[in-house]
Amino acid sequence: MEYFATELLTLLFAALRSATPVLAVVLGEAMTQRSGVINLGVEGQMLLGAMTGFAVASVTGDPWLGVMAACFAGIALSMVHAILVLGCGANQIASGVAVLILGGGLSAYYGTPFVGDKIDTLGNLNHTFVSDIPLLGQFLGPITPTVLITLLAIPAISIFLFRTRTGLRWRSTGESQDITRNLGHNPVHYQLAAIAFGGLMSGFAGAALAVDYTANWVEGMTAGRGLVAVGLVIVARWNPWYALPAALLFGASEALNLKLQSWGVNISPYLLATLPYMIPLSVLMLSYRGLRASGGGMPAGLSVVFQSAR
Amino acid sequence: MTNATQLPVKLGLRLLRGPAGAVLGMATIFVVATLAFFAINGREAVSLFQEMVMGAFGDSYSFSETLVKTAPILLTALAVALPARLGLISVGGEGQLYLGALFGTGAVLAAVDQPGWILMPLMLAGAMAGGALWGVIPGLLKTRLGVNETISTLLLNYVGILLVSFVVHGPWKNPNSLGWPATIEFPAGAILPQFFDTRVHMGLVFGIVAAIILHILVTRSRWGLGLQVSRSNPRVGATAGISYERNVLIVMAVGGLLAGLAGIAEASVIQNRLQDGLASGYGMTGFLVAWLAGQHFLRIIPLSVLMGGLLASADSLQLYAQLPKASADILQALLFIIVLAVASLWGRRRDI
Repeated sequence: MEYFATELLTLLFAALRSATPVLAVVLGEAMTQRSGVINLGVEGQMLLGAMTGFAVASVTGDPWLGVMAACFAGIALSMVHAILVLGCGANQIASGVAVLILGGGLSAYYGTPFVGDKIDTLGNLNHTFVSDIPLLGQFLGPITPTVLITLLAIPAISIFLFRTRTGLRWRSTGESQDITRNLGHNPVHYQLAAIAFGGLMSGFAGAALAVDYTANWVEGMTAGRGLVAVGLVIVARWNPWYALPAALLFGASEALNLKLQSWGVNISPYLLATLPYMIPLSVLMLSYRGLRASGGGMPAGLSVVFQSAR
Repeated sequence: MTNATQLPVKLGLRLLRGPAGAVLGMATIFVVATLAFFAINGREAVSLFQEMVMGAFGDSYSFSETLVKTAPILLTALAVALPARLGLISVGGEGQLYLGALFGTGAVLAAVDQPGWILMPLMLAGAMAGGALWGVIPGLLKTRLGVNETISTLLLNYVGILLVSFVVHGPWKNPNSLGWPATIEFPAGAILPQFFDTRVHMGLVFGIVAAIILHILVTRSRWGLGLQVSRSNPRVGATAGISYERNVLIVMAVGGLLAGLAGIAEASVIQNRLQDGLASGYGMTGFLVAWLAGQHFLRIIPLSVLMGGLLASADSLQLYAQLPKASADILQALLFIIVLAVASLWGRRRDI
């Protein structure tokens, strides 16, 4: 029994660590979509953030500088989406794919010299008071700063979105731009901020992955995490609190994949590696059923985006 | 006298204000952006650009390599453009390509001793079935549950690639390949015909024929008209007896089938076997080409050749000028961004 509980808690905390980059993207993308804009480019922004963060950490020797640089890289790339969508009125899905390809290309091009570099990590809670907590200390110890920052972002975003005036306008922009306009505000300003915030979070997510979680840079290392996150935003019903369980789904499927392999389960690692895509996709199906039944949750401005190819 | 000289100028200006001007503008901005990209990275921009053009269209060999790349781009672009006729945004070309290669290879391995006239049709049928399956699944998710097809196709891409990795590292691995994860070499009867002693293969013909047939079907047939009605208003379509749901499944299946053919052609002709990294990126390039062409089947053909040229020259420049492979991705993305921007600003019209 005790063995079982330990294994389960190990799995849960492993899931939390591997879910963190996805959680950060889900939070950012949920905020973007709340303003009525969808950005598939988060995958590319995450890659550029991961590469930039790792490169800066490697060159300067300071991983925190790397995290900051990653955030800026994410914002910078998200501005391409902002210019195309808000400035030119381009299709949001197509523009997102363009950003996705650009981020992948730029990170592969400029990241090559840094492959295989060693960097200092951000550290973790081991050897602090936390790891001395009886029973739980061994699980809390390996938690890293990006996990904590991302978890703290949940209440912060929630308070902003649901308890402030700006948050209200942010949400109303996603429901109907006319409302915001009639209140005397420019909806484009909110959407610009929303895209930039999504960029910030996806860049940070890239750093959480490359600088913190793996301390490594490999071309294409995000492996669809950003796209999974875009799907999970729907599962989370555009709510920052639900983002945590949604992202944990990805984290758990990845942790389970690694765990099953370490247990020597006789299933091909390539089949197990499909879990982090199949499980979110399955949950997405279920939540679409719920979405259809209740008809609620999706910002009204988004449903327009989801329905036309041009 | 003045009238005679003014007329061509006037005509020219009128042309420039129309779609031709937009295309010219896009091309100019793209060339400038490419030169700038080379210059920023400390290259001899102009000479590198010249080499790029030569690497794509300079001699018969480079042009044949361009056409080799054109085939999968053309087929995966059609796999995007057909669903787009119904307002669907499928980004699943990559996964469908892999599934086509997977099922096609399965057929080859199952009937490896059979003569070519049995083996070849089996292989193609398998490939089409595999690709269609990977198109129908997101189609069903869309019609039954309302799951957004863009997200489901994107996620299924990763699953498809992993399934191919699974078989080539596992059950289908050639025991004599010294640990290299790949199937056995395809027998001669399972190699698609090639032309003029080059690697240019039947896949290109499939693509061109499919583009022409689809164009005729969509513009001239009852079914094509039905797609249009369904797209603009599914309810009106339903009263006219046109099932939106059935059309979703049809366009997704046919699109997947075409991408599946691209996959088996790559495995059969280019690699001679199924292995990892079969054709990375063709699906995304196909998506891009479909959008550049405004989802117009016939425009997809020349644009696929152009994009095939970009990829082929990037391959040769990687060898001769140490230009990283990723630069092809960057240039593709730049082109896509420029075209999206110009086309959207150009009066936000439907067809450029």
